[in-house]
Amino acid sequence: MHKFFSNRRLVIIVVILVVCFGLMAGSVTMRNRRNTPPIIQQFGNDIVGFADSAVALPVNWLQTSFSSVNDLLNTYSENRELKQQVTELAQTKVRDQTLAHENKQLKQELKLGKSMTDFDTISAAVLMRTPSSWQQQLVINKGQSNGIKKNMPVMSDGGLVGRVIEVNKTNSKVELLSDTNEASSRFAISIGGKGDQVVNGIITGYNANRNELVMGQVSSKAKIKKGTRVVTSGMGGVTPKGLYVGKVARIGRDDYGLAQKVYITPATNFNDINIVTVAKSMARE
Amino acid sequence: MYRLSRLKYVFPIGLFVSLFLDGALSHVWAPLFFHFPYSMASELVLLWLVLSYFFENGVDIPLIPFAIAAGIVADLYCSGVLGLYMVLYPCIVALTKILAHYFSDSFLPAIMIFFVDIVVFATVNYFAYYMVGVTSVGFGDFIIYSLAPTLLLNVVYFLVFYWPIQALYSWATSEKTV
Repeated sequence: MHKFFSNRRLVIIVVILVVCFGLMAGSVTMRNRRNTPPIIQQFGNDIVGFADSAVALPVNWLQTSFSSVNDLLNTYSENRELKQQVTELAQTKVRDQTLAHENKQLKQELKLGKSMTDFDTISAAVLMRTPSSWQQQLVINKGQSNGIKKNMPVMSDGGLVGRVIEVNKTNSKVELLSDTNEASSRFAISIGGKGDQVVNGIITGYNANRNELVMGQVSSKAKIKKGTRVVTSGMGGVTPKGLYVGKVARIGRDDYGLAQKVYITPATNFNDINIVTVAKSMARE
Repeated sequence: MYRLSRLKYVFPIGLFVSLFLDGALSHVWAPLFFHFPYSMASELVLLWLVLSYFFENGVDIPLIPFAIAAGIVADLYCSGVLGLYMVLYPCIVALTKILAHYFSDSFLPAIMIFFVDIVVFATVNYFAYYMVGVTSVGFGDFIIYSLAPTLLLNVVYFLVFYWPIQALYSWATSEKTV
């Protein structure tokens, strides 16, 4: 034991410890500040991304084929339910088109440019998920060269799932809403209250035990009903307005009993994401 | 010796395949791995490194340099937080070497050593991320919701992959003397 901790070794160990904690802290803060990682890191990630596809694509393919067999067994009952929905959908779609058209005309009349409800989408496939308990991240196969930028919101199955936190040339990392990271950035959301009232706030956390998003510090006195839809509010100018987040599950009080705390059941299952859509706001171009 | 054997190709390919499989399996089996509130971390890389040490059969694989390389890739590509895996992987290899001195090279000691490796790896990982602010989970929650499931998963990996990897290595090291 005495030999192991001889002076020289001890010094080397301490130096290594200091260097790696420095690196960790540095890379965490740098990632939050910079828009893209340093060129070397980007380049490395792109190369590794290519190699990863060689493993990830066959595995994903296997999973899809298994689940398609599974789906085939449910086809009959699912088909009956879906047929009903399709007839309603056609109606909604036509109405949606008419409203969008009218909206465009009205905007032109008011000489408004693109607003926060206008956004483009980029679809991407998920390559892998970080194998760690502490980071809920996905790597997707689109990057800078496809127009993805840092902080863009990411959706799957129609609901918001997270945001882009690191962009390389051909792949990028997405942080899921279920990540409880202290530095993870929050989304501005709004909930329709009673009547015309709208409650604005941000997602302040995630409750892993119950799979609920938390919207804390709601000082508004407006009554919020269970089951109300929650959408992004477009405030802050990065995330478009009107992305579906989830439904209100329950309403509680915060620790001091002063403000309301709203718990939201997310629209998407964060553990079943294969294809994602990155929303690109057109408002500021 | 390492340069002459088939391990020259088998070992690095296996290392990086297991690294990518960690990510791919975590994605495909996410409903199982990240079932609330539990979360399992798949550590096939560690399994590959540890078993390589046990099965190398006299061929000296440069485990530490490869562990550092795999660690750098894991840091850059998987987690995006530099400086953890690149140090932790070689440390676990060194720990395995130290522990293996005291035991014989058979199945039971191997699985015990692997168990200790995973405990050390997960705990150091937790403390490092806790200090840097990546996570803020309490130590008790870590043990129940993360460490225990992770151990379970990786011991299952060990049971499933021990004999196939042993067969692979006995094939890969068989012709080294020819």
